[in-house]
Amino acid sequence: MTAPTVAVASRRRSVPSLRLAPKYAIWGVLVVLLGIAALLSDAFLEPVYLANVVRQAAPVGIAALGATVVMILGGVDLSVGAVVSFAAVFAAIQMGGRADNIGVAVVSTLAACTLIGLANGALIAWNRASSFILTLGTSLVIYGLTQVYSGGTARGIVAPGFREFFNFRLADVVPVIAVALVVLAVIVEGLLRLTRFGRTVYLIGSNAGAARIAGLSLTRTTLAAYAISGLFAGMAGLALLARSGVSTTTSGRGFELDTLAAIVLGGTVFEGGRGSAAATVAGVLVLFVAFNIVNILGLNFNLQLVVKGLIVIVASAIYFRLDRDR
Amino acid sequence: MPARRVASAANAFGLPAIHALLLASVVGAAATVPAFRTIDNLGNVLTQAAALGLVAIGQTFVIVGGLIDLSVGQLLGLTVVLICALMDGHSERTVPALLLAAGIGGAIGAANGWLLNLLRIHPLILTFGTLSILQGVIFATTDRSIGAASPEVAWLANGRIAGVPVALVVLALAAFGAHRLLTRTRFGQHLRAVGGHAENARRAGVAVDRVRWAAFVLSGLGAGLGAVLVAGRIGSGYPNAGQGFELDAIVAVVLGGTSLAGGRGSIAGTLAAVLLLAVASNVLNLLEVSSFAQMFAKGLIVVVAVLLAQRRERFAR
Repeated sequence: MTAPTVAVASRRRSVPSLRLAPKYAIWGVLVVLLGIAALLSDAFLEPVYLANVVRQAAPVGIAALGATVVMILGGVDLSVGAVVSFAAVFAAIQMGGRADNIGVAVVSTLAACTLIGLANGALIAWNRASSFILTLGTSLVIYGLTQVYSGGTARGIVAPGFREFFNFRLADVVPVIAVALVVLAVIVEGLLRLTRFGRTVYLIGSNAGAARIAGLSLTRTTLAAYAISGLFAGMAGLALLARSGVSTTTSGRGFELDTLAAIVLGGTVFEGGRGSAAATVAGVLVLFVAFNIVNILGLNFNLQLVVKGLIVIVASAIYFRLDRDR
Repeated sequence: MPARRVASAANAFGLPAIHALLLASVVGAAATVPAFRTIDNLGNVLTQAAALGLVAIGQTFVIVGGLIDLSVGQLLGLTVVLICALMDGHSERTVPALLLAAGIGGAIGAANGWLLNLLRIHPLILTFGTLSILQGVIFATTDRSIGAASPEVAWLANGRIAGVPVALVVLALAAFGAHRLLTRTRFGQHLRAVGGHAENARRAGVAVDRVRWAAFVLSGLGAGLGAVLVAGRIGSGYPNAGQGFELDAIVAVVLGGTSLAGGRGSIAGTLAAVLLLAVASNVLNLLEVSSFAQMFAKGLIVVVAVLLAQRRERFAR
């Protein structure tokens, strides 16, 4: 009786360390990249520069946080880019260059984006359709609607004060937009770890059949997850508008793939059931630090794309190894 | 819902829904839009469909194998840029350009397949990575159009033989070959087995890795050959030429009744879906509908088709 217990106990002791490896690997990668960047450029580790990297990463990061919930659930949201574009255009038009419109513009934009997410969720929940192809379809619908709505040009005008607020540097260092990313990450992490909804998301992601038998509502959770993804894509659109001030109808193009890259870098797998908001933020930061390294090296700007592709492939391969060995 | 009625009527005749939809849209367009009926316009529809058709045929193999290839759009773009740079309008460089197109396509496809087997990561992630790398390589090479297609390549894309578009002949030959390959050969059988259930296929003695690798090579070849037609149509090496091709190809494959889960699919369905998309975009162009509204319409087609397919699958179960 004792021998097997010892064996089990020892296995238990060894498993966590291996299981934690992939979970925190991305932070290790981030530290290594920061080290490389610091070696290449003295300015890189200065607080203002680092805060700038976070500011650059904020729109993609915020969108990725919402999409992480969908990925953990075992789905994928490819409409993120379209919703980001829609949000930027819609908010700018609602503002119409007037500061007193900001409140209405922000609330209506976020409400509209949440509704779009809810619609995605409804189509997926009630039809069991493949989220990949379905959100691809809705992204075309949203891009089309956005362009028709704006007439194809950057029509709206950002209200005065909007950009100034989000780009204001607390203590002259950290822009509000960077703080927003961190706060939202904490909220999503809390939602996933501490709430019943969060546990349900993980359960459905790892075994939908068992979750259904256990009496968990797949429909309601799916609706909520895609609504959250829509809401966060909306906030990402606002962040993008605040960062760049541009509201072209394609400003969010490529976001769906950038968020996917960040999420996968964070160790969230396609099959669902695993992942975390914090790791996704680390994934986003790894991407953007890597982009900055390409710039520091004075390489062709387009090589950022090559670097992005390489890191995504290599990181996924490493995660797969770590997973299999565990 | 008329689409549903069309679909059920078609099923009664043993026709897959997509063919019925294609037929209905062609008949509807011919009846209501006079400009659609002209021989010239029909030729245009087929010419425009041919490049996407080749890419989508390649994608069909990958998806039947339970995989996906997101890299084909940028692969097509890279091939367009490189072969136009090579030809630079010279007739005598046509054959080397064709070989180069097939070579790049096949090689990148082979690399995708090799990496998939080596690294064992999700094909969506892998080919997203190669998409990004290829895009970076294209734009690091050039950010504006370079080179020029030779007259022969332009003829392949735009020419007619006795009124029949050459591109259509190319597409028909490719589709026929692909159909035979998928339905009549051991490779096709193995591919469907791998897509249906890889582990069972492995136990049954199928060389799963080799089959997957071959599917990616075919997908790369489709993109490489599609690039020849695109190069001929635009006439120069435009770096953005491949933008969106991967998604259009996947949409066509899925509309054509191939299951994203793998295991089954048909070249004829893919072809019908490619033509349906081409007819829809042509009619909307003739009616002078804005490209934005067209995007919206395409999205709706995808969503509705996916929902219909889902229903069909559930009834079939």
